[in-house]
Amino acid sequence: MICRRCRDWITERYDVDALRRLLRTKYVPSHRYEISYFTGGLTLFLFVVQFLTGMGLALYYVPHSEHAYKSIVDIMTKLRMGWFFRSLHHWGAQLAIASLFVHFFANLLLKAYRKPRELLWVTGFIMITVLVFFGLSGYFLIWDERAFTAIRVATGGAGSLPLIGAPVKIFLRGGIDVTQETLTRFYAFHVSVLPMISLVIIGLHVLLVQVHGMSVPLSQKNRQKEAQPFFPNVFYKDLIVWLLCAGVLVTLAVVFPAAIGTKADPMAPAPENIKPEWYFLFLFQTLKLFPGEIAGLNGEMIAVTVISLGVLFAFLMPFFDRRSSAGRPSPVFTYAAVFYLVYFVVMTVIGFLN
Amino acid sequence: MMCIFSAACILLLALPLLCPAGQAPFEPALSPYDRHILYQALVLFWIGIIGLIVIIVMKLKEAKRTQGMGVHQDEENAPFLD
Repeated sequence: MICRRCRDWITERYDVDALRRLLRTKYVPSHRYEISYFTGGLTLFLFVVQFLTGMGLALYYVPHSEHAYKSIVDIMTKLRMGWFFRSLHHWGAQLAIASLFVHFFANLLLKAYRKPRELLWVTGFIMITVLVFFGLSGYFLIWDERAFTAIRVATGGAGSLPLIGAPVKIFLRGGIDVTQETLTRFYAFHVSVLPMISLVIIGLHVLLVQVHGMSVPLSQKNRQKEAQPFFPNVFYKDLIVWLLCAGVLVTLAVVFPAAIGTKADPMAPAPENIKPEWYFLFLFQTLKLFPGEIAGLNGEMIAVTVISLGVLFAFLMPFFDRRSSAGRPSPVFTYAAVFYLVYFVVMTVIGFLN
Repeated sequence: MMCIFSAACILLLALPLLCPAGQAPFEPALSPYDRHILYQALVLFWIGIIGLIVIIVMKLKEAKRTQGMGVHQDEENAPFLD
């Protein structure tokens, strides 16, 4: 009775039938590569997990250089199931970034960016940047030796950007070196600035997906099967993927709880053989390829410029790839996409093995 | 092409597992009994997940069956029953 009254109250005020109609009329293309459609939903699911676990952790975390490390240790050792929530957050971040990279490479290879979906590509690309920065800022909050060195290297690398490097570095660090100011800034980025930006970007991205519908790869245009309704067919499949992901996430959190190293000492030298998080390994490895000086110029600055140009090219790919927008094959851009994927995987593996 | 992409995806998803999060001087203080209970709960959790997946797959098959019969579509000009 109460449920019925609530339903009537809502339907009197809002056009709920329009939503029902949308769900009923929304169809998703069916073809050989339709599995790529689930990577976006998976990333969204992991984002929600990150938001929920992050809110829980924020209740106990202390964003101060003197107390940050101890508060994490307390969460891990004293708080009931605190280690589990922190592990969920840690592994959720790893899987969210991995899933977003898979989503990115799937859309790059299948040329889902082509006209009229350029803005979808742009919002997705911004989301990758935001998510990587989410990972970096969250990583620093534990204030251990490894995280401290990683942030010093990462913000130092940003400082090597031509022209804007120095102000960007000072803005990120909140001063000349990595200090309490940096922790305050990274905490603010992690819990307020980045979540706000990501909510706006995700909302826009999902809205654009609804406007344009799912992209069909050029090779599958004439080989499509009958389109399937989003509800319940695709929704049920999405649910299965999310359930499996939840299972993997909880298993990882239980079997491999998130660790924490020794407390950071800003005065101590950087420890040897330190490596960044896995999603930065390809950048780290690329930096190593460049000598300290090339033709009298700073090698690191040239490396950062080359990497930035590579990222910029990927960002602008929908605007360069005119052939696929016109519905014709563009093998050059296919090779470029394969090169990006192979380079990322190979450099990450080399970085890990070194 | 699909095989290469699938292999690369699996490798990408496995990359976080390959890279350890660092040394662990602080680990959750769990007794062997707690650990046993935890693994037991994990097994039950997986049984629950598999059960849900089986139910969803059954619902999906049922939906496909009704769609195959064409009974899921609304008939236009259908008379209203007052």
